[in-house]
Amino acid sequence: MPAKLPFRLMNWLWQMVPLLIFVVLWHLLSNSGLIDKAFLPEPREVFAALVDLLRGPQVVENLAITLFRSFTGLLLGAVAGVWIGLLMARSEVFRAYVTPIVGGTYSLPKSALIPLFILWFGIGSVTAICAVFLACLLPMIVNTYHGVNTTPKVLVWSAEAMGYSQRQMLTRIFLPHALPDIMTGLRIALGFSFVLAISSEMIASTNGIGKLIFMYGESGAYSYMFAAIACIVVAAFISDRIMLWLTHIWLIWHESAVSTETA
Amino acid sequence: MERTAPGAFGLHVRSVISVLVIVAAWEAAARLQLAPPLFLPPFSTVVLQLWDSTRDGTLPMDLAISLGRAFGGLFIATLIGVLAGIAMARNQLVNWLLDPFVALGFPSPKIAFLPVFIVWFGIYSLSKILLVAFACIFPIIIGTFSAARGINRSLIWSGYSMGASRLVMLSRIILPACCPRIFSAMRVALPVALITTFTAEMVAGGGGMGATLMYSQRFFESPVVFAYIVVMLAIGLLLDTAMVRIQRYIPATRT
Repeated sequence: MPAKLPFRLMNWLWQMVPLLIFVVLWHLLSNSGLIDKAFLPEPREVFAALVDLLRGPQVVENLAITLFRSFTGLLLGAVAGVWIGLLMARSEVFRAYVTPIVGGTYSLPKSALIPLFILWFGIGSVTAICAVFLACLLPMIVNTYHGVNTTPKVLVWSAEAMGYSQRQMLTRIFLPHALPDIMTGLRIALGFSFVLAISSEMIASTNGIGKLIFMYGESGAYSYMFAAIACIVVAAFISDRIMLWLTHIWLIWHESAVSTETA
Repeated sequence: MERTAPGAFGLHVRSVISVLVIVAAWEAAARLQLAPPLFLPPFSTVVLQLWDSTRDGTLPMDLAISLGRAFGGLFIATLIGVLAGIAMARNQLVNWLLDPFVALGFPSPKIAFLPVFIVWFGIYSLSKILLVAFACIFPIIIGTFSAARGINRSLIWSGYSMGASRLVMLSRIILPACCPRIFSAMRVALPVALITTFTAEMVAGGGGMGATLMYSQRFFESPVVFAYIVVMLAIGLLLDTAMVRIQRYIPATRT
């Protein structure tokens, strides 16, 4: 393995070259005079702004608030979603009652509920977390339901024949079988959680990275605005990679196991 | 049969019941003043408001603006995304050039770029359509890319051996083979388009469903807020059902 490392490093650097080309083009474009420099700051200025932001507490604090909101909502949504999905797959009656509600709200743009939550809970973390929770809940329900529902009958029968208790059925048969789907749902929900947290901050909030970006935009501090956007893009990218890595570790036994390199 | 598990009809009845129960509970909670009417107007009031807004033309107008933006953005995203996806699948250089951007752009919350689009393209339709296109393009690129990568080799070899030109290859073999997956990607992108449109309108104003929703919320016109949310719910459901129907009945879109 260690012998392969330089090759992987080289490979990684080679992959980064297009980003460099992009930065060079950006530099040329903002210096060409075709676009007003105020609207498209030079990469150099944005980089300086980024360094400045990372030194101060502003971006780190607001980013922490946003991440707290999105992860809390995601966690609550994931736990509730797995339970509801599980119940839906196991109980026909429960499914009949819940299906129209899930089906109806699945395609509802969840950000439409933000004004409602502002009305109910005021401006702040509760509104953001509620919006994130709802947005994460539905993909979790649908994916868990699909995963549990497709458990092969043979597996269920064998487990029943071996005298598994209800609890064992759950932890040894249904949940492991649904895990790949649950992870898929979790990755979708992760994407939603950032979108909803930032949207609710942009619509009405006193803090958070969404508010910060909007504030910089309104006050015309465009290089800072670009730097703050870069921060959230990187944070989302890293979260997504961590999610892929966790999926890879937890599903190493599964045939769908994807290596973190190719995914 | 009736004694054991409920049949299909019984389950259907239960589905209807659960919707009715929610509506009835909503109406009852509002009428009994469990919540102030400001927070929860009765369902009947919301329905009346829906009727009023439809009659005076504000709701149809807002809906038309929002749907126009969502579909405009989705259209641009599909056009560029399909081309980019196929180019990435067929050409190593293009793949190398675009891959880092797709990898970085796909998981990023596109709504964070809204202020940039406002600065560059103003607060009206242009900035929203382009933001929607930007948000929708990544799932479409990825869907098209994996579809084009997964095309049966023998199809491509047969095409070449029959002397197909590049254009014929693209229009007769690659595009038709990718069609079902492209359509699935569009089905994924459609709710993204709606969410992005509504959110952008809520944040930046400039007309449309989201702008009116925010405006009514600021003036505490709760019936309007609820009426608009109900319409958004119905639109999301209707469009998704339409996509499923199309997928089922048009052979070219079936996976």
